[in-house]
Amino acid sequence: MKRTVRLRCRGRVHTIEVDGSEAVPRRAAVVPVPGGVWVSLDGHCEFFEVVRGTVPLPPQASDPDVRAPMTGRIIAVRVKPGDEVKPGDVLVTLEAMKMEYRLAAPAGGRVTAVKCAEGDRVDIGMLLVTLEPAPLTP
Amino acid sequence: MTKILVANRGEIACRILRTLRDMGHASVAVASEADLDSPHLDDADEVVEIGPPDPRQSYLSINAILTAAAKTGATAIHPGYGFLSTNAEFAAACERAGRTFIGPSSTAMAALGDKRGARATAERCGVPVLPGARETDSPDAAQAAADRVGYPVLLKAAGGGGGRGLRRVDDAASLPEAFEAARREAEAAFGDRRMFVEKFLHPARHVEIQILGDGKSAVALGERECSLQRRYQKVIEESPSIAVSPELRSDLSKAAVKLAVAAGYANAGTVEFLLGPDGSWHFLEVNARLQVEHPLTELRFGIDLVRAQVEIALGGPLPSPAEPRGHAIEARLNAEDPGRGFLPMTGRVAALRWPQRPDLRIDAGIRQGQEILPFYDSLLAKLIAWGPDRDSARRRLAGGLRDLVLAGVPTNQKYLLDTLESGFFREGETFTTTLESRSWTPPEPSRAMLLAAAGATGAPAARGSAGSPWQNGGAWRLGS
Repeated sequence: MKRTVRLRCRGRVHTIEVDGSEAVPRRAAVVPVPGGVWVSLDGHCEFFEVVRGTVPLPPQASDPDVRAPMTGRIIAVRVKPGDEVKPGDVLVTLEAMKMEYRLAAPAGGRVTAVKCAEGDRVDIGMLLVTLEPAPLTP
Repeated sequence: MTKILVANRGEIACRILRTLRDMGHASVAVASEADLDSPHLDDADEVVEIGPPDPRQSYLSINAILTAAAKTGATAIHPGYGFLSTNAEFAAACERAGRTFIGPSSTAMAALGDKRGARATAERCGVPVLPGARETDSPDAAQAAADRVGYPVLLKAAGGGGGRGLRRVDDAASLPEAFEAARREAEAAFGDRRMFVEKFLHPARHVEIQILGDGKSAVALGERECSLQRRYQKVIEESPSIAVSPELRSDLSKAAVKLAVAAGYANAGTVEFLLGPDGSWHFLEVNARLQVEHPLTELRFGIDLVRAQVEIALGGPLPSPAEPRGHAIEARLNAEDPGRGFLPMTGRVAALRWPQRPDLRIDAGIRQGQEILPFYDSLLAKLIAWGPDRDSARRRLAGGLRDLVLAGVPTNQKYLLDTLESGFFREGETFTTTLESRSWTPPEPSRAMLLAAAGATGAPAARGSAGSPWQNGGAWRLGS
């Protein structure tokens, strides 16, 4: 029986037709976990989420919010609400696994909120700073 | 029989504890609160809980480690690498407490293990060093030194190691911020704020000589090349280096032995050099400890370096190494996502299947079901392949990486595999700037991967033994 499956991997949605006629190499490892499935084949391992119903738009490249890319501790906050920032300006420094990561503004604009403080433990995906993008034309 | 405490965690603690067991010594493992279920504990006779997850209060606490040794009656301590391994104060504290530190004496460590001290010793021995300045503890002093030798420069933490507390600086404007960041990182990781400056040499190769000393004499056990790095973290290492001729090997070995003897160095150590584009070579630093990549030397020389360390520390003779054979390559498997700027990743190891090959060694510190935590280094395991020549070792390691299954936490597995298969690696174009000058993006998932994923998530009929993480493991077939 033919069916269409939509899978999200690294933010991209892949649509495939499945009719049961194609074999998957037996050595592929398929590991279901809550929320999706890991597939490992020939040294390439990825996480897939099934997309049901309408496909939501992937996050825009210009999404101006800055989120924690990993779990760690905030060791410096460089901005406060109202500050004007240019793309690439460092907003927050995060320490994880003994390394420092400087989180930069994805676009220029004005800082509207700072949701973290020095010393905070933050979880992956947590909102840290919100920006109001600069107008497109001066 | 001696009772020996291993003041470390992860793969290196497992590796050391196994040699201690083979030697017939009793062993003690230590664990922070976050590590109470970690694999290294299962390799020990006894376990002592030493404090909170934050390494400063556990694995980096001299007091916590010495208290654990006193409690269990351990008379010797192996520090592994990282943490307290190159802390001269810790070595001295062990000496004062009457416990054998399995490593150099605190005085030899101060002379060689400290990066600034090592530079001074090298200069005295007539071993070439990079242009730079030894004591730049303020941004102003660093700026003055950088202006003198010319940009780019490398800011380095005197007490650093494992790539932490290092920053490349290309111009005067970016120096103050880089200086503060490097110093903060060094203080967090090593509790040491002292900094110095060296000229940044490129394209350069990183080549290091393994030594074993007994305080009076020393032997050299060939070189390892560790040029392939990212953020000063070694990624792929090999031995021998294709850039080292027999004459150069002899020069580097003589310089390394001279330094070790001058410092009265006992135990295992590594003398690092940079090879410049013009054929010049410069002393970089001494790692006064066992290195992460030590298995390369073990595979080529047929020696157990941990056993040698313990024997030397307990008063035994220096081993006389055999002739090295073949080629060995190591890949470091890290919990990090190369598709997202190599950020460290956390999560639960949902599935784990190690590859098996003749002459493929795996030094791992993880097991299925384990939670990978944000407090520690992201190194999960090392895969080390030996072959009669470089290409056989390379193909064997690539084969192992292709077979490895580690799901649940993103890793650099595919990146390592693609690097080993790349033209630049095959041709030996390995310089310290090579990896960072080449961008890499994860490939799109293949149709076979998508089919496998679709089958597992969308076909109720195929969901067999629910609850097992391996319900389809290795035996998935669509439509069956």
